[in-house]
Formats: sequence, structure tokens, C-alpha cells
Amino acid sequence: MSENDTIDPAGSGNMIAAEYVLGVLGASERREVERRLAQEPELAAEVAFWEERLAGLADGAAPVLPPPEIWSQIEAILSARAVRRSSLWESLAFWRGFAIASAALAAASLAALVYIGLLAGGPTARAPLMATIGAAGGQPNFVAAVTASGDSLTVVPASLLTNDPRAIELWLIPVGETRPRSLGLIQPGQPIRLQIPPDLAGRVTPDATLAVSLEPPGGSPTGAPTGPVIATGKLTRL
Amino acid sequence: MDADAKRTQLAAALVRVAQGDRASLRIVYQDTSAKLFGVCLRILNDRSEAEDVLQEVYLTVWRKAGSFDPARASPISWLIAIARNRAIDRLRASGVLRKMEPIDAASAASDPTPDAAERVELAEQHLRLADCLNELDARHAAAIRAAFLDGTTYEELATRMQVPLGTMKSWIRRALLKLRACLER
Repeated sequence: MSENDTIDPAGSGNMIAAEYVLGVLGASERREVERRLAQEPELAAEVAFWEERLAGLADGAAPVLPPPEIWSQIEAILSARAVRRSSLWESLAFWRGFAIASAALAAASLAALVYIGLLAGGPTARAPLMATIGAAGGQPNFVAAVTASGDSLTVVPASLLTNDPRAIELWLIPVGETRPRSLGLIQPGQPIRLQIPPDLAGRVTPDATLAVSLEPPGGSPTGAPTGPVIATGKLTRL
Repeated sequence: MDADAKRTQLAAALVRVAQGDRASLRIVYQDTSAKLFGVCLRILNDRSEAEDVLQEVYLTVWRKAGSFDPARASPISWLIAIARNRAIDRLRASGVLRKMEPIDAASAASDPTPDAAERVELAEQHLRLADCLNELDARHAAAIRAAFLDGTTYEELATRMQVPLGTMKSWIRRALLKLRACLER
């Protein structure tokens, strides 16, 4: 291969993998390369070669510690996805079975049902928007329901989540967003009604995620989860 | 820990991530997030955008860890590629005005000295790459570095180095060809 062949625009296809990895292509050219990668193993191998060999250039960018809440947010999103993987029917059946079977927790679960019944305003009212909040694969720890007016959220403990003395904070991750927004502190032992902040009112919708994190007394000082996310759940219309 | 041990440990963690082990993702995050955040921050030049992209990067790692092949790629190179692709895509989508300060071949030619621990895994390949870059015309090497670190397009590079677009394209392509020959030597 002579050098001129490849420098010539007609032969620039040979360089496209290197140009893609180097980062000099525009958005549409990048999409075109990515589309071809799936079908052209040679091009994919060429991209892999450059990714491996040019990676050392990244040493020119000084490492910077990211803020700690980034990891908490990643965890919250992964937990939410794990909950989403189990279907609505499974989680509802599980929740009902759990409510009947667990004598020790029957009172709390009954309280949840009563609340939800009240909130729904009888069988003819619109199906309530609610979520069961729990650790991935575990029992629901809280049941949350949005009031008919849509401006507040009732959170009822279903099973003991933790003996941890830290504050328990409830977060909303609206659909299509990744940043958790605080809804306030909740209690492990008693139902609580939280006012939904006006700026979040339109974003408490089906498929939005609720997450629970452990925080210092008084709640997260930063406005984002700082402690571990211990339970999540998705809002669903029953 | 030496470079090989570190690389092996990181590769093993990625393999476990592919099996759905979230604790291993945390290990990968702890080991690499400062480096990848630095890479994203350099490209995006905006902290909040870089934080968003960093989050996307590790969610992508979680989803795509199954495509990482420890026999074919070093784990840190694989992670850097994901971070750069995400950051460059965000940069192209944002349409914000880029920093356009001129690239000075003399100052761009020498890297800031990274912490020994940071570059331990890349050391061997990095030394080879540095040797090969040294064989290039200084301006071509500066253009390659700026393109990689800042994610700049040909057009922006041409403006920043005050040469016509066609000249910049031929500089870069010529430099990439020479690099390829040198790296394979």
C-alpha cells in the first residue's frame, strides 16, 4: 500500500477507523461508522487496534475525582432497573401474597391497603398511582401511593427495612431523567404523608422511580443521595 | 501492585460485571472513575455535563461488559474508549461553542507528567506510543494529541492551528499512517 493511495480522498475509507477513534469525525460520520461496525468485522478490528494503541494519549488528561453522589445515582438507577425486570403481575402477586402470609407484618400491610383504598376513593375512582419499594429481589419495604389530587404522596412501611439509625430519605427519579430529586424524609415505623414539591408535581408519573437512601440526620446535605440506596420501586397505575 | 496484576484484577472485575455482579462494578468504578472523569472533563470542559456522561459511561459498562474480551483488549483501553465515545457524542450533540484557543506545537508536544500509579497499566504501550509520536512532525503530533484529548473535529483543528481544512486532513491522515507503521513495528 503506497502512502499516497491512502492519503488520497478516494482511499480515505482506509483511515476511517483511525479517524473515528481519534475523534475528528462529525456526528453523522460517527453514526455511519458505528452502523458499519456491526456488519464489517475488519473495520471493527481496525477500530479495536486504534482504541488499544491510542489509549495512552489519555494520560494527557489529569485524573479528577468525581463527586461521591455519582456512584449513588448509578446504584439507584441499576436498582430501579432490577425492580423493573420483574413484571407488574409478579410484583403485585408477590406483594399480595406477602401481605396475607406475613402475620407479623399484616398490620402494616393492612394499613397500606386501607390508605390506598381511601386514596383511590372507591372502586369507580381512577386507579391509584403507587409503588412498592424494596431491595432488588427482596420484600417490599414501603408502599407509596400518590393522592388523588396528585399533590402529595403517602408512604406506608410494609416490612422492616433496616435498624440503621441514619435518616431515611425518599427520592424521585422522573421518567427520562437520571438525577434523583428529594421528596423528603420517611420513617421506618409509621406511615407518613409527604407534600410533592410544586416543581416535581408534573413528574410524579407512571414509570418514574422512587428510591430510598440512608442519609445523615436531617437528610442529604447536598440535594443528592450521599449514602447507600437501599430500596427502589417504580410508580405504576394499579 | 504491578501493572500486570492491576490489569488482571480490573479485567477479572469486568468479567464479573458481565455476570451481573454489582459489587464488581463498584470495584471498576473505584479504580477508574477519576481517570475517566478526567477524560470526559477534558473533552466536555463542563463539570455538570461530564458528571452526566460519567454516569452514562458506567451504565454502559454494566450493559456492555459482556462484549469486553480480556484476550483482545486491555480493560483500561476498553473503558477509555467508552468514555471518549460518550463524551464526544455529547459534545457533538450539544452544539456549544468549543474552546478554540490555538494549539501550540511546542507546548502540546510534551504531556504533563502523570502520577506513576495512574499510568502504571498503560506504561508499556504508552512508551511505545510516545516513541512513535516523537517520530512525527511536531505540528502533526500536536494535532493528534489535541484531537484525541479534546475530541475536536477536523474543522476545529484547522481553525486552531490556522491551516486550511485540506491541509489538516492530510496532516492527520499522514500522521496516522506513520503511527500505524511505527506501532506495528
